[in-house]
Amino acid sequence: MNVAQRTKKLKAKLLDIRIGPGAAILPGDVKKIHLDFARKINDGHFGARKVWRNYLPRLKYHNPAISMTINRTDDQEGPATLTVHFAPPSNTTSPTASPAPAPASSTSLSTPPSSHNASRRVETIDMKHKQDSEILSKLLELTNATPYEPSPDELAEMREVDDDKMRSDRDKKAQMRLNQIRRQEQALLDQARGAGKLESASL
Amino acid sequence: MASKAPLSHLCASIRRPTTQLPLLPFLAPSFTCRYASGLSKGGRRDRDPSKKKKTRTEFINLSLKNAIQFSLCDAMRYIRAFEVGRPPTSSKYDLAIRLRTVKNGPVVRNRLRLPHAVDSSVRICVICPPNSAISKQAINAGASLVGEEVIFDAIKEGRIEFDRCICHVDSAQKLNQANLGRILGPRGLMPSSKTATITKDVAGTVRNLVGGTEYRERLGVIRCAVGQLGFTPEEMRSNVKALIGNVKQDLALLSEKVNKEIHEVVLSSTTAPGFSLNGDFRGPTSLPTRELSVL
Repeated sequence: MNVAQRTKKLKAKLLDIRIGPGAAILPGDVKKIHLDFARKINDGHFGARKVWRNYLPRLKYHNPAISMTINRTDDQEGPATLTVHFAPPSNTTSPTASPAPAPASSTSLSTPPSSHNASRRVETIDMKHKQDSEILSKLLELTNATPYEPSPDELAEMREVDDDKMRSDRDKKAQMRLNQIRRQEQALLDQARGAGKLESASL
Repeated sequence: MASKAPLSHLCASIRRPTTQLPLLPFLAPSFTCRYASGLSKGGRRDRDPSKKKKTRTEFINLSLKNAIQFSLCDAMRYIRAFEVGRPPTSSKYDLAIRLRTVKNGPVVRNRLRLPHAVDSSVRICVICPPNSAISKQAINAGASLVGEEVIFDAIKEGRIEFDRCICHVDSAQKLNQANLGRILGPRGLMPSSKTATITKDVAGTVRNLVGGTEYRERLGVIRCAVGQLGFTPEEMRSNVKALIGNVKQDLALLSEKVNKEIHEVVLSSTTAPGFSLNGDFRGPTSLPTRELSVL
């Protein structure tokens, strides 16, 4: 494929992962984020999937050291939860300091979160019947995350991508119009030819 | 058929039909004349032989001057972000090695054992006399099924519980007598000396198959899975190095007439886009590798 085109497309994709909603730097005490939801969107699992598809890649890019896992179940009526695991505060030594709220375990076979380390502080967000943006803002608030500020270079790049998109949309529309006119003319010609053929056949 | 009457009227002057036959369209006279001259306009004679379109003998390889290239760690950081939440054992890193090569001629094709196996769950069946020294070696090397008649019977019953099949040279005759080609052949499991699955060194072949991967050049590109998503950058580095080293060896071993070189190396994964690698392990702004080992 054309290198310039390939590069342009890749750049847009990478920019989309670096900046946008969800691009935030989580503080160091966040150790793990786990999402539990069903495979299909019925019964309020839509937001959870959107969070995974749209925001989690950005979070992962900016926080590669934080483990982010997902468990999708076949249980459509089951809960949709987001679990955040915090590192135990260094000054408290007792492992039974705060009883962790039991994460809603599902019928799946994969290991439920926080079964091995009880000393961690665990917080859950209920994602059921919630919009993706709502879940994200709750998560950022809970973890005290700082939003990522795009650099001037990145902003310039983004403007370039937007310009490209606008230009391509405009060209697309123009081409569509042109194609439509061409098609209409062709149809008219075909109609005329078809009539001519009928006449010659009858001669 | 309202037009029949004027038609016959028109033809009457030419054909003078004695009876009123229903006239078919192809019987209607045509007034344009064609003579077979053999010299139609715009024929082959007009074409300039010197302007004949040249057929391309090599694959197009565009200059990578304007391409963005990544160090392995940077590419892995992006790929891990794209692959977030995917099951770590099913998502794979794969490497595409683009070659500068002619379209025809010999292709690179080999098998290699990566330092860190991509798929370790492959089940191997070895056909050799059971309870012999060879069978013990094969089991030690990682074969899951060893035997002769027992396996043949199982296959005939439709129980094929393996992904690869190897046969010892001494058992090859029995295998052929068992008439399994019709069952194993379509699945690509029938051992043959062409694919080096009938061997004397059963243990060595099994060992190669357990962690081994096959690769071959198709349309000027070698594609091969090089790692699971959970691999650390160091593990990936050794795998990529091993694969590229092996490919370079293969390229050097080809006959002197053909000249093949590596043009571009692209790391991709099951759901991520491709990242052209620049050959470095870490860039100046790359994160520490420890951070990139977390799923």
